[in-house]
Amino acid sequence: MMLKNRTALSSLLVLLFGVVLFYIGTDGFQAYTAETARVNQLMEDKPQFPDVTLEDNKARKYTFSEFEGKYVFITFLYTACGTVCPELEMNMFGVYDRLPEEYIGKDIQFLSISFDPDRDDPETLDSYRKMFKSDGETWRMARITDKDELNELLDRFGVTVIPDNNGNFAHNSAFYLVNPQGRLIDVMDYKRIEEAAEQVTSILDDEAGDEK
Amino acid sequence: MRQAQYGLVLLVILILPPVANLLESIMITHMHMQMPLLVLAGFLIAKFFQIKYPQFFEKWNANGLPGLLLFIIITGYWTIPRTMDETLTMASVEAFKFFSLPFLAGVPLRDSWPKLSSFWKNGIIIFFAILYLGMGWLYIWSPEQLCNNYLLIEQITLGWGFLTTAVCMVIYLGYSYFIDFTQYETES
Repeated sequence: MMLKNRTALSSLLVLLFGVVLFYIGTDGFQAYTAETARVNQLMEDKPQFPDVTLEDNKARKYTFSEFEGKYVFITFLYTACGTVCPELEMNMFGVYDRLPEEYIGKDIQFLSISFDPDRDDPETLDSYRKMFKSDGETWRMARITDKDELNELLDRFGVTVIPDNNGNFAHNSAFYLVNPQGRLIDVMDYKRIEEAAEQVTSILDDEAGDEK
Repeated sequence: MRQAQYGLVLLVILILPPVANLLESIMITHMHMQMPLLVLAGFLIAKFFQIKYPQFFEKWNANGLPGLLLFIIITGYWTIPRTMDETLTMASVEAFKFFSLPFLAGVPLRDSWPKLSSFWKNGIIIFFAILYLGMGWLYIWSPEQLCNNYLLIEQITLGWGFLTTAVCMVIYLGYSYFIDFTQYETES
């Protein structure tokens, strides 16, 4: 081939390769961290909440179908956590507090799920919930005693939990919204309380509008 | 040719699952030991390709710039928090790491470096010093945990690793500016 300026051509090809590589690697320049990629993927997949057995702060045992027909607002935590979890639950209360009262308990259920079932027995959960003004009914705290079921749920919802050596866990945090059919429909930033509350209210308003 | 063999041995050792798992279990050894060692392996293996395919490098990397560009793209790619996370969870990304760092970063760097003028050489070191300062800042002061598979404390450790590397590069730049290297070479 009669080519000239070969190095310019190869530079161009390399550059093109770089653009394609970064494009693929970041889902079209969207997701630079695995957490963003995870949330984007969840929104696309809309995974079903598995039918696990929960044990709540009043030691009642039931499966997730207990909440069928309601939206469920979920967070994942462990009570021995001194850093993110209290903030997460405070913010969850912030959302709870901002929602129109008529929806609470009737159209939407609040649920905090512990991924540390060994330590978070019903008594611990019950004393923990009081710190965050949870009433234990419309906002329950529960553990999943069966480890396989727990892992299945964490896996489906993309919750990464890494135990460190001091009895703590590193974990990603978010607000999860599951629809009345048990499908995950939204993952929200737990630091943006206003936004999450508005989002949930508008979903509930739409639902209420449809029923009329 | 012997060094190409050493490079291959190094690469194979790095790929061995126990070695890979060990280095990847800590964030800073993953990024600041395993990855540079992979580039080094490619750097050594490069000799083999240079001898085997001299025209290819002569034709397509005559001034060293395409190779340098490729090196920057590949190393830049592996500083994205997500790519590091995904090597731990996806086998294909892990495989791409073991291929791209030696062959698309180490090999072109070896071929390009002697061809580059000192302007480009210093430019690239300045570029990486700035990039690493930025990465260090990001990893240390980011309010968020950037990688799901590593603890926050490891992220901060890695940040300091970036900063110290950047400082070393700046020291080197100052050193090379004030010290006349040719003096050493003539006397030895």
